[in-house]
Amino acid sequence: MTSAPTVLVVDDEPAILRALRAGLEARGYRVRTATDGQGAIDLVALEAPDLVVLDLGLPDLDGVDVCRRIRGWTDVPIVVLSADGSDQRKVVALDEGADDYVTKPFSMAELLARVRVALRHRPASEAGTSSRHGAGPIDQSVLEVGDLRVDVARRHVDVGGRRVELTPKEFAFLVLLARWPGRVLTHGAILADVWGPGYETETQYLRVYASQLRKKLDDDPSRPRLVTEPGVGYRLVDPSESGAGGGPG
Amino acid sequence: MTGLVFARKTPWLGAAVGVAVVGATVAALAPLGADVSRATPALVLVLAVVGACLLGGGRAAVTVAVVAAVTYNLAFVPPVWTLKVNAGEDWVALAVFLAVAVSVGLLVAGEADRRRRAEQREAELRALYAELEAVAAERGRLAEEAARVTLLEDVDEQRSALLRSVSHDLRTPLATIRAVASDLRDGTVYDEPTRTELLATVCDEAERLDRLVANLLSLSRIEAGALRPERQAVPFDELVTDRVRRLSRMFRQVRVDVSLPADQSLVDGDYSQLDQVVTNLLENAARHAPQGSTVRLDGRRRDAMLEVRVSDEGSGVAEWERNRVFEAFRRGEGSSSTGVGLAICAAIVEAHDGQIWVEHTSGGGATFVFTLPLRKMGP
Repeated sequence: MTSAPTVLVVDDEPAILRALRAGLEARGYRVRTATDGQGAIDLVALEAPDLVVLDLGLPDLDGVDVCRRIRGWTDVPIVVLSADGSDQRKVVALDEGADDYVTKPFSMAELLARVRVALRHRPASEAGTSSRHGAGPIDQSVLEVGDLRVDVARRHVDVGGRRVELTPKEFAFLVLLARWPGRVLTHGAILADVWGPGYETETQYLRVYASQLRKKLDDDPSRPRLVTEPGVGYRLVDPSESGAGGGPG
Repeated sequence: MTGLVFARKTPWLGAAVGVAVVGATVAALAPLGADVSRATPALVLVLAVVGACLLGGGRAAVTVAVVAAVTYNLAFVPPVWTLKVNAGEDWVALAVFLAVAVSVGLLVAGEADRRRRAEQREAELRALYAELEAVAAERGRLAEEAARVTLLEDVDEQRSALLRSVSHDLRTPLATIRAVASDLRDGTVYDEPTRTELLATVCDEAERLDRLVANLLSLSRIEAGALRPERQAVPFDELVTDRVRRLSRMFRQVRVDVSLPADQSLVDGDYSQLDQVVTNLLENAARHAPQGSTVRLDGRRRDAMLEVRVSDEGSGVAEWERNRVFEAFRRGEGSSSTGVGLAICAAIVEAHDGQIWVEHTSGGGATFVFTLPLRKMGP
């Protein structure tokens, strides 16, 4: 029997802390809270939570700085809450080490889905419970996300048993996303990885390749595998996986 | 004369005119012989030199002076029509004439030259000054334009700050409401106390939205100049008690200590507007008060006014920020909310002929002070 994952929720609004504490505890998570950035950093250091839900607008420190400082010594997954609707802030937070983000106002199901995804990919050394895939990005030669199967070694891609032919760049793009299933990857991160340094701002490449990939993977526009996060990046999801319900582990 | 002095010099013209005057003098005076004294032609010839000088400058003057001296010797110094000079006295007269003629010519020429240069310098300075004036005017125009652009940018910046602020303030309570409501809708099972607490939280946040909307409406009224208090006798202690009771859930983390004069004095004001002032100041204090601290609301009479002090034990307001906190959309450092509440307080208090300011709470924190006129007792 392993202990339930501990989630540290950081927000300066008491009301949202109450709501998230109740919602997370109802799913079996243990919840700690902090109302400012310094408190959050101290609690991460003292209690080593399994996940941090971090609001970007804090009274003492900028949320992005908190992210950067926490990343100074730990890979604990960080899900960022942002109320300002500015894509730039989310991208900066993701580039500074946040694992995902949720924009306020959000539904509880949305936040819980992000929490589950982030916990799934937490580093092995910090995973309290048996993680489905082990550490960080999935480092296997065969990647599976729902009925999508990517054989990295043989360069084969199958969707529901149907073979799909991809160009080398399309393949590299898909492999990168499939190594981080459910997680948002920023435009800059994808471009740097697939196209190499110096291409970080060429986001129009991504639009073209994403649309080609969707066509080849036969994505249903209402439930796509390849999800666009407008102004931020892309994530690869299993369309059959429901966003609601579910608890830790 | 001045015109001649300042006129441009033409040496050949000066010399010609001088020589002509010399010729005319000889023609006019020589036939008279001994009937005129020798001083008369000398003076007229000096005039010829001066004329040559004025028209032709120094060289023309010297030339004419020499010609005049020779002519004088020929025509007027005996023996006439020879260059011979017999009497020693005549040598002296001739020498003095030449010296005077040349000196006067050179002096006049020098003076004219100086004046001409001074005039030239003055003209140059005038031109320079005009140029500077033009540059200054252009700079002024550019500065004005820059100021106008800055103003427009400021207005633009204020407008986007307003939008950011309003959208942030609306979204914050909405985030809680949506999270809790969606959770309950999805059928998450909570024990009864938690469920009650969550629903109460949703109600609180809905009320907070309502207060925010009320503030935004007041702000637009203030900006339209339509904030007119409907004055009546307001029992201020009742207003405060009622408001503190309504906000009690907001004060779960802090103690509220109200102390108002027991003489049942009435304030002359608009009930709902004054309620908004008290609400905004209490909400502001609750937001900045550390957990477990005390928020105080004290009132006391000061002549014909009621002075009310709302203090918290938070981080206080920096000296430089004390006047700016009452500007719309000016959040305290790191503050996560409103930015309009204090501006509305200031507008309402001022519309009631009162004053509002912020002080340092002794022992730390901010104290907001405002005054309101007391209702005059009838006869």
